[in-house]
Amino acid sequence: EAKSSAVASSQIFHSDGGEMEPETMEIKSVSEYFTKMHMGSVMSRQ
Amino acid sequence: MDTGGSVVSMRAEEPSFHVRYRMEVSCLELALEGERLCKVGDYRAGVSFFEAAIQVGTEDLQVLSAIYSQLGNAYFHLHDYAKALEFHRHDLTLTRTIGDLLGEAKASGNLGNTLKVLGRFDEAVVCCQRHLDIARDINDKVGQARALYNFGNVYHAKGKSICWSGAEPGDFPEEVMTALRKAAEYYEANLAIVKELGDRAAQGRTYGNLGNTHYLLGNFRKAVASHEQRLLIAKEFGDRSAERRAYCNLGNAYIFLGEFEIAAEHYKRTLQLARQLKDRAVEAQACYSLGNTYTLLQDYERAIDYHLKHLIIAQDLNDRIGEGRACWSLGNAHTALGNHDQAMHFAEKHLEICRETGDRSGELTARM
Repeated sequence: EAKSSAVASSQIFHSDGGEMEPETMEIKSVSEYFTKMHMGSVMSRQ
Repeated sequence: MDTGGSVVSMRAEEPSFHVRYRMEVSCLELALEGERLCKVGDYRAGVSFFEAAIQVGTEDLQVLSAIYSQLGNAYFHLHDYAKALEFHRHDLTLTRTIGDLLGEAKASGNLGNTLKVLGRFDEAVVCCQRHLDIARDINDKVGQARALYNFGNVYHAKGKSICWSGAEPGDFPEEVMTALRKAAEYYEANLAIVKELGDRAAQGRTYGNLGNTHYLLGNFRKAVASHEQRLLIAKEFGDRSAERRAYCNLGNAYIFLGEFEIAAEHYKRTLQLARQLKDRAVEAQACYSLGNTYTLLQDYERAIDYHLKHLIIAQDLNDRIGEGRACWSLGNAHTALGNHDQAMHFAEKHLEICRETGDRSGELTARM
């Protein structure tokens, strides 16, 4: 019975598969790169 | 150095050290400003600064890679996927040239996401595989998890791109089901890692997309279970957008389970959150879903109430197609109640909108 109701409902509801979560893009940060370089040179001096 | 002690170039056409130094500093300053702007969401301005940084130039290839990568991401957020592709490709080539394995993994991941949006799924899979392979080689669990999530997204998108509108969830062609099952496997593999890492935000994202995958596979109970987890995590973070998405997706799953009262409760929460978030388009969608749900419950008075709310917002937003849908639904609901004058009014409005928007099938239906 639930299935037959679902048949009717699919005709009303356009099923686009639901709202997706966002993609995860990888980040390359200029500021982080320079922070690491700076830390690296400080550590090597010590 | 000449006998007077001043710095001169060895050759007249080569920039001197201090000129090159100034250029490097300028490039860096421009890039840092671009980064700051993108961080606050001003991608258009960020792009300008990054493009200017490239014009100035740098000899530091790690900096150049970061600029290419961030340009790619900025264009991605601006929905200019052709440009995003161009810059992520530049970044990938550069990372391979300088032997930056971690950088190559990241560039592959970003390129894969971009190719996915462009519908180039087979190429996207290759990129995801490269991302995953490198992450495994360097024992980067976080990277592996992210690659698996991207893989899931690619197969989910591939499945959706093939399925045709006449079929219901669970009844799609075999190649669609195969793609969706693969998506589910990748999401599960991702979940295993992100649970081990204790990354709740990542778990939330994966549960949401896994829920949508189960929904399309016709596994509505599993869809509900996944979306409930997504909802829980959204509440943990106070992420109301994610909470709103989860309630909406739960509503959809309960419709296909035939549990319309429960679906209505979830759609009401969706509506409440949409209003709090001041997102009128989403508010309209929630009203439409509630109108349809009450139609299924044969509570036509409530259905009309929500379809009218949907109609008003559609008019405010100049959404003629939404207006057409609302009029169609209102016409049907009034017919069910025996309100023939009102039914005729909305049927005529629906027909008028179908003609205006060139909706031939809608027009034919309206004439019937």
